[in-house]
Amino acid sequence: MTWWSVIRFLHVTTAALWVGGQLTVSLVVLPLARRLLETDQRGRVLREVGRRFGMFTGAFFLPVQISSGIAMAVHKGVTWESLTYPGYGRTLAAKLLLFVLVMVAATLHGWANGRGMAVFARTMAIASLVGSVGIILLATALPVT
Amino acid sequence: MTSVDVRIGAPGPRPTPPTQRRSRASWHALANAVVLAWLALAGVAALTHVRLPAPEWLAIHVFLLGAVTNAIVTWTEHFAIALLRHSEPAPWVRPVRLAALNTGVLSVLYGGSYGPVHLGVAGAVIVVGVVGWHVGILAAWTRRALGGRFAHVVAWYICAGVALVAGGTLGGLMLAGWPPGIGTTRLEAAHIHINLLGWVGLAVLGTLFTFWPTVLRTQVADGSDMIARRSLRLAAPGLAVTVGGFLAGARWVAVAGLLLYAAAAALALVPFLRTARRRRPHTPAAWMLAAGTVWFIVAVLTDLSVVATRAADQVADDLEPLVPFILVGFVGQTLLGALTFLLPVVLGGGPAALKRNAALLERGWIIRLIMVNIAVPLVVLPVPARVSQVAWALVLAALGAFVLLAAVTVFRARGPRVSPSIGGVVVGALATAVAVAVALSGGPGVTTQGGAGVTTQVGTGVQTVEVTLVGMRISPATIKASPGTRLVLRVTNRDAQQHDLRLATGQQTPMLGPGQTATLEVPPLTGPVDGWCTVPGHRAAGMTMRIEVAGAVAGSEGGTGSGEEPGSAPMDHMDHAASGPLNLAASMSPGWRPYDATLRPAPGATEHKVEIRAVQKEIEVAPGVRQRMWTFGGTVPGPVLRGKVGDVFTITLINDDTMGHGIDFHAGSLAPDVPMRTIQPGERLTYRFRAERAGAWLYHCSTMPMLQHIANGMYGAVIIDPPGLAKVDREYVLVQGELYLGEPGSTGQVRKMHDGRPDAWMFNGTAAGYDHAPLTARPGERVRVWVVAAGPSSGTAFHIVGAQFDTVYKEGAYLLRPGDDGGSQVLDLAAAQGGFVETVFPEPGHYPFVDHDMRHGEAGAHGIFEVTR
Repeated sequence: MTWWSVIRFLHVTTAALWVGGQLTVSLVVLPLARRLLETDQRGRVLREVGRRFGMFTGAFFLPVQISSGIAMAVHKGVTWESLTYPGYGRTLAAKLLLFVLVMVAATLHGWANGRGMAVFARTMAIASLVGSVGIILLATALPVT
Repeated sequence: MTSVDVRIGAPGPRPTPPTQRRSRASWHALANAVVLAWLALAGVAALTHVRLPAPEWLAIHVFLLGAVTNAIVTWTEHFAIALLRHSEPAPWVRPVRLAALNTGVLSVLYGGSYGPVHLGVAGAVIVVGVVGWHVGILAAWTRRALGGRFAHVVAWYICAGVALVAGGTLGGLMLAGWPPGIGTTRLEAAHIHINLLGWVGLAVLGTLFTFWPTVLRTQVADGSDMIARRSLRLAAPGLAVTVGGFLAGARWVAVAGLLLYAAAAALALVPFLRTARRRRPHTPAAWMLAAGTVWFIVAVLTDLSVVATRAADQVADDLEPLVPFILVGFVGQTLLGALTFLLPVVLGGGPAALKRNAALLERGWIIRLIMVNIAVPLVVLPVPARVSQVAWALVLAALGAFVLLAAVTVFRARGPRVSPSIGGVVVGALATAVAVAVALSGGPGVTTQGGAGVTTQVGTGVQTVEVTLVGMRISPATIKASPGTRLVLRVTNRDAQQHDLRLATGQQTPMLGPGQTATLEVPPLTGPVDGWCTVPGHRAAGMTMRIEVAGAVAGSEGGTGSGEEPGSAPMDHMDHAASGPLNLAASMSPGWRPYDATLRPAPGATEHKVEIRAVQKEIEVAPGVRQRMWTFGGTVPGPVLRGKVGDVFTITLINDDTMGHGIDFHAGSLAPDVPMRTIQPGERLTYRFRAERAGAWLYHCSTMPMLQHIANGMYGAVIIDPPGLAKVDREYVLVQGELYLGEPGSTGQVRKMHDGRPDAWMFNGTAAGYDHAPLTARPGERVRVWVVAAGPSSGTAFHIVGAQFDTVYKEGAYLLRPGDDGGSQVLDLAAAQGGFVETVFPEPGHYPFVDHDMRHGEAGAHGIFEVTR
């Protein structure tokens, strides 16, 4: 157990909370809210859930994941050039690419929600969710560290 | 603008029942969705062309057969109905035609690139049949037509369709390899011309007579109907003469036909110009059509100059680089321009929807137009690779943007509603699929890099061992340790090139440059552990080590001891599968081009500057057999350099590969230390030498293990003319090399190299390649053949069956000159030697040339001189 295991722990835990949280909201909270709550109440609850989750993501999950990810990459000696190498480098590059795509989808989701484009907002929310699961797939495909 | 009716030029629109209008709109949504899907596929094919077999052939045919042919069939029918004022066909006709046509296209594409060939031929038959049927319907309509001011345009469509029937038939024949014995180059030249100038060209020219004024929203120019009739009377025979000329191998007949066609095109474009002068292009569609038409004119003129200056058998080769230019500049822009105008019109939905759809389709059109038209000349001109890559990126970006916009337009107008959940899952899954594709790219056999690395933790009972990587060896090769010991390896690379060390337990150092050091922590030992360098080929060359547990029986394999390099085990099995006798009589894949054996005269300049890139490339090395080769410049052999004694060669070697390479020119004499050094991926070096002595010299990769680098294709020839070298009628160069199938650098492949068991021998990189694309000569002509034996292990006994050499020049000296009493039968060369022979073929016939060591000659070192009057 070294300080690096702590950093790895933070990276994995925040990822689990972030993806798990999205899944919980989409698969548990949303369907129940639709079934059990009145329209105006539902809107308020869902907005609040979204706001709170967004706050956690922006203030805690993402900063921790990004900083711990960069730290581990530097520690492992990952360079920009090595991201182009087949194998570890490209898997990591693909994971980063998918992360960026998920962030774009999440941003579009927030943007569309603000403009009342409900269908597009929901499409982007689900796309972001599926993409985050894809990130985990790529994380497990990284050679053992 | 209130409404744009598609009954182009038809005075007084005839009322259409609303139900018919609606079904027409959904038909167009479907037909054009198919066109858009093919366009998207063409973009993907162009983007990924390095990974597919017969890459360019596939991308070109996805675009022309998939997108363009579908579009022409759909729209010529649509215009014919409008112009002839004919009723819509029976409801089953269009879906059946669409399904049949696309079945045929898919069969051609799949059969043509992956086989079986019969599938491709069957596809060609279907495509030809469908278009023939379509033409038949148009002809029947014309005969029954009650007039209509613009009925003559349909005659252009009929001629275009007949051209495709002929051109598709030629394509099917080429796929089938029939008729046997004659080179496919004439067929190919005819095929390219009749399809591009006939099927596409005539359909476009005919349409422009009425479509261009419609797009410009002005009247059809007076007299354009007469011009349409007259110009078709010139264009159709012109095209027929051109194709006949190509098939007969009569260059000047083809030129005459092309001149006739060009004159007809010029005449047909007179109303186009008149209209444009009256009403300047002011819509996106008009600009795209105008740009497409300009590139059409440039293409016809360029084609004319190519055909006029090349021998008929060479035209196809020299036209090939022009094809992407024609596809992008003329065909692509015209198609996209027409769709930009037509899609909103046929999708209907009332004036508001039309306006909205048009606005969406035209989004960013100025940027797209500029991007494409800047790129068009760059894809054909000899610009640096980076520039042409940027040009292609521009083209594909513009294409992608259009396909996206058009897909949204069609979808919004006619598409089914998709729930956000499904839409979201599809988008997310696609994004993940793209990322996984990126992650998996690079293929097997390329090793992982940057795995578990430096660990600073030091526990108790740790033993540190210095490991050195030098001279393709790991030292010490064996480490013995007691069970449970925690070993730390301090790995230092003392070699001049990159190495790393990977253990079967999964630990791996980063890729180490010369002088770099990394430490590796070995998990507590329970059994023997193997280690090796993961640079391709190094493990097979002997860069291995083993950690043994003291007390354990040597050779007993623990769970981790037998760990194979990822990907190498299945490859070894493939080696065995691939080592069976090759079928050298099988036909080469469609789209295969022989290495041009013609040797051009030395350039006049005394200084030669050449840029060579070391790059891996998949090459068809024997009929139907593709092999990833290590190459200089993407070909085996690399580029042939030629000069005179005293010339200075400045070569820039750029390493675009993932492993180190170097270069060694036997034609120069210098200290190897610096110029022949190994350079790493992304680096470049300059190699300057003065050719002080004449000869046929080898050049090859100078990086160890050279056996593998040469055997995998990294060699080429430098020809330095002896002073006073007589002029001859034809000069060819043949570089003979060995072929080792299997994953380059894999244990199985390298074993064959060490044992001297090649799978085949090749002249210029293809076993028996010149059996399928014979070298040509005429009786009485003096032919000089330069031969270089690249090895790496075997030489050659070069012989031409049925011919005698009256001149032999070997390793810098004449052994025989014309006028001597004796003759020669074989030029014998050891590995890396070179020379030339001269002969005069007495009469027409087929003269095989072989390595008369029959083990080599019957295993690929074989080709044919086709001597015709």
